[in-house]
Amino acid sequence: MKLIGKIILKVFLAVFALFAVTFTVYFFNLDMKATSLLEPLFIKHYDSMERKYYL
Amino acid sequence: MAEKLRVGDNELGKLYTDGKVRKRREWRGVSDTLYDYWRWLGTMSVLAKFIVKPRNIKAMFRYRWMANYLASPMMLDRFSQGLRGEYLRIMHEEYDTVFKDIGLLLDKVFRGDKRIGNDKKYSDKVVLVDENEMTAVMMGFKTLKGLSRETISTYVPVLLNQHSMEHYIDVAQLQGLAPDVCPMPEAEAGISIDDDAPILGKCAVQCNTTCDGSLLSNGVISRRLINVDGIPVFQLAAPLRHREDDVQDYAAGEIKNAIAFIEEHTGEKWDWDYYFECAKRVNYATECRQEWLEMNRTDYPQVFGGNLALYTETNYMAICGKVVDFEKADRKITELARRAYDKKLKMVPQYRHRAIIWGVQSHYYFDFLVWLVNCWGIVPLTDMLSMVSTRKLVTEDTPENRETAYYDMAWLTENMIMRNRTHGGYKVLLDELWEYVEQFNADMVILWEHQSCKALNGMHGQFEEKAREKGIPLVWVGHDLFDPRIVSRQGVRDQINNFLRTVMNEEPIDPSLENLPDEKSW
Repeated sequence: MKLIGKIILKVFLAVFALFAVTFTVYFFNLDMKATSLLEPLFIKHYDSMERKYYL
Repeated sequence: MAEKLRVGDNELGKLYTDGKVRKRREWRGVSDTLYDYWRWLGTMSVLAKFIVKPRNIKAMFRYRWMANYLASPMMLDRFSQGLRGEYLRIMHEEYDTVFKDIGLLLDKVFRGDKRIGNDKKYSDKVVLVDENEMTAVMMGFKTLKGLSRETISTYVPVLLNQHSMEHYIDVAQLQGLAPDVCPMPEAEAGISIDDDAPILGKCAVQCNTTCDGSLLSNGVISRRLINVDGIPVFQLAAPLRHREDDVQDYAAGEIKNAIAFIEEHTGEKWDWDYYFECAKRVNYATECRQEWLEMNRTDYPQVFGGNLALYTETNYMAICGKVVDFEKADRKITELARRAYDKKLKMVPQYRHRAIIWGVQSHYYFDFLVWLVNCWGIVPLTDMLSMVSTRKLVTEDTPENRETAYYDMAWLTENMIMRNRTHGGYKVLLDELWEYVEQFNADMVILWEHQSCKALNGMHGQFEEKAREKGIPLVWVGHDLFDPRIVSRQGVRDQINNFLRTVMNEEPIDPSLENLPDEKSW
């Protein structure tokens, strides 16, 4: 019984921790803030690619 | 008496920064914030499933337009701004369905793309279609994939990131294409010129869609497809005088020719069972849309503005009965709308004006419709691109109905979004606007003036003349469709701000939204 209680508590804590982390990312827009840092790197990469125009 | 406020954040402008993204997401009260968070998790899972495929990562490094998909979750935030309860749920039903469908489209295109997945067998089952084209001719080809490269490379990116098409517009103009042409087809042509369009498909069908710009870009793209990629192209020439009876035989003949072309090049046969199955779904989507519009004629509109426009465009034109998920979404949206209607709910605490939005809207500022209602309490009851065909298609498989079906497909193709208003004479563009004003009991008309659209600009004076005659306030909102360097988002907003302040002598409901530093924003 005690073991089951411990497992339930651990599962609850794990789910809560996951919720706390993802909700923080969601609410403070951290996902978008991170991806906005990636965009200039991609643009730099595209600009360095060789292109042949087809008209 | 103090005005009733919505639950949670009420000064939405305070969330903006002068960078690409917002300070934080909106607080909508406990239940709606948790609901939005739950939907955000769903978005993240769609992105995760997309990213785990190596070929999609490869595509990310190959195609410049792919970087714009980094902004996907923010687009959903923009369209859900200020929404609560049923309106938030309707928005997510719609946009999450569209978002998932776009993810699948990207995946399919990259699978067949010579440069990425290079699955030749799959590519041989692909028929390329224009983004700006009804996909009705694919309703009877169950085993084929009608895929639009322009949807994923041009149309969606500019909804995600306002600056996404500037590079391609510049490429097209540097190669000598006219700068006064509509920037949408110009960007499509720019992608083809810049060698940035995926290469796949057994054949392609292009349509003489909306304008001179479309014809120009079709010419550039088809030349590349035929001469470089070896992909034959059929030009589906739908009549421009689409309301006239004398053009319908020819239009149906063009549909037969397009189907014969696809059969010849793919070896597949037209499947009438599948066609009528799709036709039933088209009819169901039409019924739902009519019910939403019926509600919008009352004092309690439910599916309007941003929640009506983009979803209708996608469902009517690109989906055209072929995707079951959209039928499910239609059902859920209708249930939510009925519930909100029964409860006499309103999207924002105060409605001040009932507006019809006419003309071709700015794509880099599609969420302007959401801003209108949040900042000024203007309810965008419906828009020109949502007022499409409501004709019921035949759905029973009989010899007579098979013949009628060609006419139905022709009618849909002639009446694709935008084309059904920009061509066909002043009745469809001018007269019907004022009929809708009466039907929807509107007290304001907001007219988009797309600066490169010759079809609409030619009627500027006639719109004004009619507005004066009817005594309806008319606001012109200039923009350049895909190019925010010509008119910025704030430039768009200022035209409304100035009109409401000076002509109507009004103050905004949410003053924090009046001037926003979103020049660099996605």
